[in-house]
Amino acid sequence: MNSKVPLKLTVNGETFDIEVEPRWLLSDVLRHQLGLVGTHVGCEQGACGACTVLIDGKPERSCLTFAIQVEGQQITTVEGLTRGEHLTPLQESFSAHHALQCGYCTPGMLLTATALLEQEPHPTEQRVREAISGNVCRCTGYQFIVDAILAVAGDTKEDVR
Amino acid sequence: MKPAAFEYQRVTTVAEAVKLLRDAPDAKVIAGGQSLVPLMNFRLTRPSLLVDVNGIKALQHVVWDGTYLRIGSLVRHQQIADHAEIQKHFPVLAVAARHIGHWAIRNRGTIGGSLAHADPASEWPAATVALQAEIDVEGPQGIRTVPASEFFQGYYSTVLQPDELVVAVRIPYPKFRLGFAEIARRLGDFALAGAFVEDDGGQGFVTWFGIADKPVRVHTVLPDNMEARREAWQQALGTLAIADDSKSRRHLAVQMAERAWQHSRLEGGKYLSEEAAGGDPL
Amino acid sequence: MTEQAMRPQFMGARVKRVEDPRLLTGQARYLDDIDLPGMLEIAFVRSPYPSARITGMELNAVKSAAGVRAVLTFEDCPILLWQRDSYQVGQPVLAHNEVRYVGEPVVAVVAEDRYQAEDAAELAVVHYEPLQPVLDMVQAIEELPRRVHSHASNVFYHKEYTTQGFSDAFAQAPRHLAATFRTTRQTAVTLEPRGTAAMPDPASGRMTVYASTQSPHRIRGDLAELLGWPENQVRVIVPEVGGGFGMKANTYPEDVVVVWAARHLGKPVKWVSDRTESLLTDVHARDDIHEVEVAYQDDGRIIAIRDHLMADGGAYPAYPFSGAVGETSLASRVLTGPYQIPYIETVIDCTYSNKTPLGAYRGVWGPIASFVQEGIVDRVARSLSLDPAEVRRINMIRPDQFPFRNAAGMIYDAGSYGESMEEALRLINYKDFRVRQSALRAQGRYRGIGISVFVEPTAMASSEAGSVGYESVFIRVEPTGKVTAAMGLGPTGQGHETTMAQLIADQVGVNLEDVVILHGDTDSAPFGGGTGGSRSGPIGGGAALVAGREMRQRLVKLAAHLLEAAEEDIELGHGQAWVAGVPDRAMTIRQLAEIAYTHVKRIPPGMPIGLELVARYQPEQSVSFSNGTHIAEVEVDPLTGLVQVVNYVVVNDCGRLINPLIVEGQIHGGVAQGIGSAFLESLRYGDDGQLMTTSLSDYLLPEATDVPRITIEHLVTPSAGEGGIKGMGEGSLIGAPAALVGAVSDALAPFHVMVDRLPVTPDDVIEWVTARV
Repeated sequence: MNSKVPLKLTVNGETFDIEVEPRWLLSDVLRHQLGLVGTHVGCEQGACGACTVLIDGKPERSCLTFAIQVEGQQITTVEGLTRGEHLTPLQESFSAHHALQCGYCTPGMLLTATALLEQEPHPTEQRVREAISGNVCRCTGYQFIVDAILAVAGDTKEDVR
Repeated sequence: MKPAAFEYQRVTTVAEAVKLLRDAPDAKVIAGGQSLVPLMNFRLTRPSLLVDVNGIKALQHVVWDGTYLRIGSLVRHQQIADHAEIQKHFPVLAVAARHIGHWAIRNRGTIGGSLAHADPASEWPAATVALQAEIDVEGPQGIRTVPASEFFQGYYSTVLQPDELVVAVRIPYPKFRLGFAEIARRLGDFALAGAFVEDDGGQGFVTWFGIADKPVRVHTVLPDNMEARREAWQQALGTLAIADDSKSRRHLAVQMAERAWQHSRLEGGKYLSEEAAGGDPL
Repeated sequence: MTEQAMRPQFMGARVKRVEDPRLLTGQARYLDDIDLPGMLEIAFVRSPYPSARITGMELNAVKSAAGVRAVLTFEDCPILLWQRDSYQVGQPVLAHNEVRYVGEPVVAVVAEDRYQAEDAAELAVVHYEPLQPVLDMVQAIEELPRRVHSHASNVFYHKEYTTQGFSDAFAQAPRHLAATFRTTRQTAVTLEPRGTAAMPDPASGRMTVYASTQSPHRIRGDLAELLGWPENQVRVIVPEVGGGFGMKANTYPEDVVVVWAARHLGKPVKWVSDRTESLLTDVHARDDIHEVEVAYQDDGRIIAIRDHLMADGGAYPAYPFSGAVGETSLASRVLTGPYQIPYIETVIDCTYSNKTPLGAYRGVWGPIASFVQEGIVDRVARSLSLDPAEVRRINMIRPDQFPFRNAAGMIYDAGSYGESMEEALRLINYKDFRVRQSALRAQGRYRGIGISVFVEPTAMASSEAGSVGYESVFIRVEPTGKVTAAMGLGPTGQGHETTMAQLIADQVGVNLEDVVILHGDTDSAPFGGGTGGSRSGPIGGGAALVAGREMRQRLVKLAAHLLEAAEEDIELGHGQAWVAGVPDRAMTIRQLAEIAYTHVKRIPPGMPIGLELVARYQPEQSVSFSNGTHIAEVEVDPLTGLVQVVNYVVVNDCGRLINPLIVEGQIHGGVAQGIGSAFLESLRYGDDGQLMTTSLSDYLLPEATDVPRITIEHLVTPSAGEGGIKGMGEGSLIGAPAALVGAVSDALAPFHVMVDRLPVTPDDVIEWVTARV
C-alpha cells in the first residue's frame, strides 16, 4: 500500500517529476523531496499557518493536502517569491519594520500577505489582521507585521476601528 | 504525526467515485480534506483508499434560479462568502461562511465535506437545517434527496451510507428574514455557541449549533419585549439535549439566539457590512 | 569629525537586522532542515497513562516492521537525568518499570523515515498496570493520595523565609485581607517544535549534535556527562532556532536518546517533535498557588505580606532546571515588586505529580509574582475605596531610596518606577478614563484599566540558561579588515547577529556590514552561558563591548606606531585610523590588519602577531533590575464573557538600548504572550490525569485579531554595568498578565469581581456576571 507513484509537481513555475507515496503531505514533499525547506511545519493540523503555500494563487495549508492531490496546479512557496537577487517590496518592508524575529512563521505570513495584496491592494488594518489571523506568530505580537503589510499597501482606506 | 498508508484514486465523475466507494467499504472521500487530513495525521482515521473528488466538475456550481439556491458539494467556503448572488439573496450564508476557520482553510474546505463530516459545532449543518435545505446524495442506486432536518443523526454522524456522496445542497429562498450569530474564543475557532434565527412576525424558528449533538430547528414565539424573548429562547433551549451542559453554555446559547434575532432585523447589505466591520448592533 | 566618529553610530540606532534576508527568502536552516545522507528518524512510543507500572512489552512486530533499524528501551539506554542526585530523583530517558506522566517516552523506534517510524511505533504493545495518579499539589504536600516516587517525599523543595520583625508588624497593622491566586499550566509553544539530530564521525570518533537549544555549551556539557564521554568529543551546532522562550533551555530525554542512537548505530539520527508531542512533553510552566495574607494601613500603605507558595513540578525535576523551584524561589524574593513593603514571610513547597515536568517559560517566576503583587495592591485599593494608582504611588519605592534592599533581601539598582507609572498613566489618559468608564457603564458596557508596575531582575549570575555569570567573545579582525566575532549565546529570534555587531562595529570603528557574529557552534565559540534569564543583552552585550574595546586598543597601538603618533591622538572610525586633527595621516583598518598578519616586522615590539583575542565580561553586580509599567484597557462583554483589549501602553526602562526596533519587537511579543496567558492559554488535565489540550485547536495562542496596537515609550536608567545595558527579554510578559486581568477586575467592579486566576475564560466571566444578576 505504501508503494510510490509518479507525480508531476509544479512549484514556483518549475515542474518536477518525482515519486511519492500517496500519504505524503505536500509540506513533506516540498521540504524533503524538493529541498524547499522554506515551507515550515508547525502543527500538522492546520492550526498554526506556518506551512501556508499558495495553490493557484490562494493561500492553503500544505500540511492538510497530500502532494498527490495537487498535480497540475501551480504551487508557490516562499522560495518562489523572490526572482533574482532582490527581496520583494513586501520582504523589504518586513525587514524595515522588524516584522520577524525567529522567522519560523515568516514564509507563511509572507505568502498570505502576498495573496491578500494581490486580491485587495489597499486593505484596512482590520482586513490585514483578519487575513493573517490564521498565521500564528509567537514572537512579534503582530504589530510590526501589520505595519509592514500596510506600508506596502500604501494609501489605505480609513480604518473602521 | 503522519498518516497511515492508503491507496489513492482521483475521479472525474460521481459514478466513478460511487463505484470505488462501493468496492472498498473502508474507503473515504476526500474533498477539501480540512477536517479529514488532521484526523488522518493523528491516525484517528485510516482509510484504505482515498477517493479524491476534487476533479468532478459537475459538483462545482452555484446556481440561483429565483426560487432555489443550488450549491454543488465541492464549492469552497470562501467561494460562498464571496459569491455576489449569495451575498444578495442569502446574506446569512455569506456571513456564516466567513466564520468558518481561517482564510486558508476556507479556500480549500467544501460545503459538501462539512455536511458529511457533521461536526455539531460547525456552521453548514445548522445553516442547512435552519434554511430547510435538501441535500442530494448519490449512491449506487442513483440520487436521493434528504431533508437537512433528517440528514444529521448526531455527533459526526449522518444518514450518508459508506458508498454515497453528497453532491449538492438545494436551499429554498426563505420566506422570512434570517439572522446569524456565533461566538468563538478566537476568530476562526469552532463555535462555543451559534444560532440561526428566522423571524415570522411574533414567532419563528431558532437553530443552534455548538450546543447539542446535531442542529435542530426549534419553533418559538418571538415577542417584541426583550425579557419575554429571553424567556422564549430559554424554553426553546429546554427542548434540546445540551452537550456538556453548563450555565455558561446555556447563557451563550440564549445570547447568540438573541443576537441572531437582532441581526435578522437588519437589511441584507447592512447586515453584511456590520458583520464585516466586526460590528454588533446590540 | 573627531567627536562625530567617537560617538556610537550603531548602538541605539534602529538598525535593520542582518538575519532577515535569509529568513525572508526561505534560506534559513532550522533543525528539521538538516538532512544528512543515510539519516534515520526516531518516533517515540509514549505513555498513555499518567501513572502505571510497566508489566511487559511486546516489540517483535516493531523490530520487524519495514524500515526499522533499531528499537530502544531503558535496558538499551539506561541513563538517568539528574545523575548528580540533587533531587534524589532522575528521569530515565526511556521509562524504567513505571511511567509517571502522559507522554513520557517509553520506547524509541529508529527507522528510515518518520512515516515508517510512526508505522512501526504503532505496533508496540506495552502492558501497563495503572496506578492512582497524583494530580493535586495541595494533597501532594500531605503525601496524598500517594508518593509519586516511592523513595522520595512528594515535596522536593521546601524553603521558608521571614523578614525580622514580621510577626509584630503583621499583627499590629490595622487592616488585613487574604486571597488565593492560582495560575494554570501554560507552555512556551515555540512555533518551531523541539528537535535534535546527531551525526557520528567515525574518523575522529567525535559526535556532532545539532540541537534546537538556547544553551549550546550547556547541552554539550550535559550530553558529555550523561553519556560519559569527554566533552571535546562532542560538538554542538545550533541551527536557526524558531523560538525558545525558556522552553529550549533544558536538556530533554529525547536529546540523550538521539545521540545515544547515533553512536550505537553509527548513523546520523534525527528526532523532531510533532505538535502533540510538544504539548505533552515540552516543559510546562506556571502551575502555582499563592495563599496570601496582607497587612496594611488605612491610607493604603502595605506593611506585610505572608505567602504560601506552592508549585506542581510535575513527575520529575526538569533537567537541569526545575521550573517549580525557579517560579517559586525567585517569586518569593521579588514579591513586593516596586513597592516598599517592609515585611514578608514566605513558605515554599514544590511537589511532584503525575504531570509533565515544569520548566521555564519566559518570565518564569515574574508573570506569577506580578499577578500576585498587583492583585494585592488592587485588593487593598478596593477595600479602602481608593484609586488604585494612588495606592501604588503611596507604596512606590522612591528614586532617593536606590540602591534599595527589599523585604526579601534583594538589592534593586536604580530604576524609574514612579516615573514609568506616571508616564503610562498620562499615555493612556487615566485622568479622563474614570469619566469615560462611568459613562459607558451607564450604557451597559464594562471597561476597565489595569496597572502593572513591574521589576525584572536581569543579567543574573544564574538562570534557566545555567550558572554561568559571564559571557565570552572571541574576536578577530581578519587580514582584510573585516571583523568576525564568536559567542556562546543561543539566540532564538532576538537578533544577536545584529545587536552584537552594532556594539562591536562602534568599538572597532568599522561599518556594521563588516562585522559577522558567529554563534551556536561549540567548536568555534568560546565557552558561554547561552541565552536565557534576560542575560544576552547585558552580559553578552557587555562582553561584546569589552572585546571590541580591547581590539580597538590593539588597533590604536598599531596605528600609533605606524603613523608615528601618540596613542591618545589616534582616532578610529568608518574603517579608518587617523591622527586627530590630521585626517591625511590615516590608514585603513584593512591596511593595519594586513600588516598585523603579514608584515609582522612592522608590528610594535611586545604586541602579538595578528588581531585575535578572547574577552570575558562578568558584571560586578549579581543582578540588574529593569522596570516599567504596563497599562491595559479592556472591554468585557458580559453577554459573551469575551474580553477585548482596546488600548495598551508600555513605558519600559531597560537602561541603554542597543536597538530600539528590536526592544520594541520584544515588548510587542511579550504583551501578545501576556494576552495568551491572561485570556487564552491553558493546559488542562482531566481528573484521570490525561492532558486534554494536545493540539493548537485546544491550546489557544493569540492571533493577529486578539492583539491590539501597543504604544511604547522608553525611559533610560543605565545600569552600572558595561554600556549601561539592562536585560529586557522577559519584562513584557512579566508585566502584561497582571495589567490585563487587573483591567478585568476593574471593568467588573460593579459585579464585585477581583480576578484570582490566570487565565480568565469566558466561562469565568459568565459565572461571575450571572451570579450577581
